[in-house]
Amino acid sequence: MGTIIETNNLRAYYITKAYGVERTVKAVDDITLRIQEGEVYGIAGESGCGKSTLLRILLGAYQPPLTVVGGEVIYHLEGETMNAADMTEEQQRDMKWRTISYIPQGSMHVLNPVRRIRDTFHDFISAHRDVTKKESFQLTADYLRDLGLPEKVMASYPHQLSGGMRQRVTIALATILWPKLIFADEPTTALDVVVQRGVIQMLKDVQQKEGSTLVLITHDIGVHANLADRIGILYAGKLVEEADTQTILENPRHPYTRFLIESLPSLDSREERLAIPGRPPALDRPPSGCRFHERCPLAQEVCKTIEPELIEIEPKHFTACHVVEEELNGGHSVYA
Amino acid sequence: MNLLRTYILPRILQWALVIFVGISATFLIPRLSPYNPVDEMIGRMTAFASIDPHAVVSMRESATALFGLDGTLLEQYGRFWSRLLQGDLGVSFGNFPRKVSDIIAAGLPWSVGLLTTTIIISWTIGVFLGALAGYFHNRRWSQFLERFVVVVYPVPYLITALVLFIIFGAWLQIFPIMGGSRGEPALTWKYISTVLYFGFLPALSIVIGAIAFRFIMAKALTTTEIANDYVQYAELAAVPKRKIILFYVARNTMLPQVTDLALAFGAIFEGALITEILFAYPGLGFVLYNAIYNADYNIIMGVALLSIVGVATAMLIIDLLYPVLDPRVRLR
Repeated sequence: MGTIIETNNLRAYYITKAYGVERTVKAVDDITLRIQEGEVYGIAGESGCGKSTLLRILLGAYQPPLTVVGGEVIYHLEGETMNAADMTEEQQRDMKWRTISYIPQGSMHVLNPVRRIRDTFHDFISAHRDVTKKESFQLTADYLRDLGLPEKVMASYPHQLSGGMRQRVTIALATILWPKLIFADEPTTALDVVVQRGVIQMLKDVQQKEGSTLVLITHDIGVHANLADRIGILYAGKLVEEADTQTILENPRHPYTRFLIESLPSLDSREERLAIPGRPPALDRPPSGCRFHERCPLAQEVCKTIEPELIEIEPKHFTACHVVEEELNGGHSVYA
Repeated sequence: MNLLRTYILPRILQWALVIFVGISATFLIPRLSPYNPVDEMIGRMTAFASIDPHAVVSMRESATALFGLDGTLLEQYGRFWSRLLQGDLGVSFGNFPRKVSDIIAAGLPWSVGLLTTTIIISWTIGVFLGALAGYFHNRRWSQFLERFVVVVYPVPYLITALVLFIIFGAWLQIFPIMGGSRGEPALTWKYISTVLYFGFLPALSIVIGAIAFRFIMAKALTTTEIANDYVQYAELAAVPKRKIILFYVARNTMLPQVTDLALAFGAIFEGALITEILFAYPGLGFVLYNAIYNADYNIIMGVALLSIVGVATAMLIIDLLYPVLDPRVRLR
């Protein structure tokens, strides 16, 4: 299994200019990722940390003011290696849905309110395959049945479906052409937990059926624990830690990740959970040095000035923290 | 059946009620004014010649009866309805013995013909161009088009009409400046071609402004529509642009557009006042203008009744069409 998509030192800023005042929001800053074929890669972080921006760039669906200012995105699809920057608009369009697909955030409104579900499916299918209406209806019916959705949704309008059903229909719509690479942006947010479970199960089924790669973005660590093979933790536009799910959950090293994990409620302990002190920094003027140093209880002088590098602290476990690095280099453990 | 009882019937009742209230108001309003049409008529007749006072008294009596102004208000109201339901709108004061219904019937086809054509043309072109310009709002041609329309739109249509009148009618003299047709009315190409020829300038004066209005409205609706998640999502999925414009963008802007179209059709019965006056076009607007000029109450009332029925019926039709246009209106 090889890499399916990678980014190298990717930087993407929102550059706006109004009344002569230029404002640059560094939403994605120097991110290097390698996502493997067939895995479920989770991207976690607080609101405003650049999760959705990163996803837009990976998906190739962005327009000014969002601009890629450095680095590259490389797809390894269908035996070809393509740099996103070199692709024509035609190639980008052609790639969508057939090989790369997207389950959007807040899919309450992604279905056309005046079109029956089956017609929307036909629009999406026929854009990429030469099918008659009858064929695409058949395809849709079969697929919905496979996924355990009732057949009557075919003839329904979106407003006639419940929120959970609409989300499931959207997932079906995003994956009907069996894409190799699926991006899901907060697929379970705004659903109640019982429905969430159904949606998670469905995502799992879809991913496992064809061994697709799923890039899952959510702030909900619980969903990541259920689905993801590996997790990358994003903080203020930077990747601060990356490891397989179990390591992240059981042995997080970056102080931010530790806060995230420790804030999760658990069944055995009834003690009060600690919130992360402070709030995420504004990304138009990010803090110097380590971007977390203002909120970090372990912060030292070096953290305020020098940006930590992402280093491999144990096989396949990366973290970017001066304190952890120092400890590895023979210093005393800070987590004693 | 349920749909009939819960949706269609209440709306038909509402329609009847609106017409009833509207017509009652047109009955009441002239009677609230201090102006008495009988005095006016007597005054006009005695202005130039002295008439025997007894004759004046009996003339006053018969005129009061003729205009339905004798008896109490309630009696008048009862008679008003019984006449109206027989299709009797009374007689014209200005063209005395002629029946109001005949005068209106003579003007009606001209206005209906002129306005139906202009409404359909301007609606279709405006909606189509507006949707395209809204969807391709970054293209140079759409920005040029918008600037052009923004300049044209605020020009009042009477100015447009006047300019056309002066240039093509008076100066270049390629189009007639008076009337609706030439020759005996007949279903021959010769006659119909003169109708088109005479109608061209009046129609153009209406169409220019109407297209500009429709274009601006369609473009504004489209601009909000393309920001919607379902349009963006279809774009992302590389659904062909033709399909997106038709079924995702334009289709969702249809509700207000069709409402407006129906209201425009309902207003046909008022005629196109200024255009018809300027080009002496024999439609309802021209009839209305002459009636106002001559204080011809019965005709004004007749035109008002017609437009009440027209607008109310248009509203009824849209109400009944909404469930077809927007599935969300459908009752389950």
